Amino acid sequence: MRNDVRDRRTAKGLAQGELARELDVSRQTINSIETGRYTPSLPLAMAIARFFGTTVEEVFHADHV
Amino acid sequence: MQITSRTNRYYWITVATGTAIGLVYLIGFAAGGKPMLGLGALAVMVVFTGALVLIGRRSETVRGLLDHRDERISAIDLRATAVTALAMIAAILAGFVVSVARGGSGWPYDMIGFVGGLAYVAAVIFFRARG
Repeated sequence: MRNDVRDRRTAKGLAQGELARELDVSRQTINSIETGRYTPSLPLAMAIARFFGTTVEEVFHADHV
Repeated sequence: MQITSRTNRYYWITVATGTAIGLVYLIGFAAGGKPMLGLGALAVMVVFTGALVLIGRRSETVRGLLDHRDERISAIDLRATAVTALAMIAAILAGFVVSVARGGSGWPYDMIGFVGGLAYVAAVIFFRARG
């Protein structure tokens, strides 16, 4: 699943570790989400979207719907 | 993830659990008349859990495995546990077959397999009921 997490994070001037602290996950998890190796759970996806002030659909893009 | 008081609590729980298991080993070996081997087993458990905690201070993965706060680490742990279970099943089946082929009854592999199968069925029923 593609996502805009990296773009939105860098636009805010945040390092992966800083975003990880905000979301209470590990830096490795943020890296895995950004590279598409890990698809977050719905609660984490919602937390990410809320952090960036947008919706889940705006951040995460399903390849096949 | 930061090292928080919660993480520190899990560190202590890890060390305490490892030490408790080591003490059970010690009691078992002492009951069998080999207290020195028991002390060795206790030392191994204390050193192992201590090393785990020390590595956890540097490794995000180990730290995550200890306090299970990160959903990705929890998913990794779940998959690793499933792979471990498959390896254990293979080892138990191999042990059972070798035991039977040597003219034995298959004990204790039959009982271990029975307990494992029972635990699996109980877990499926439990988690199915929870939705």
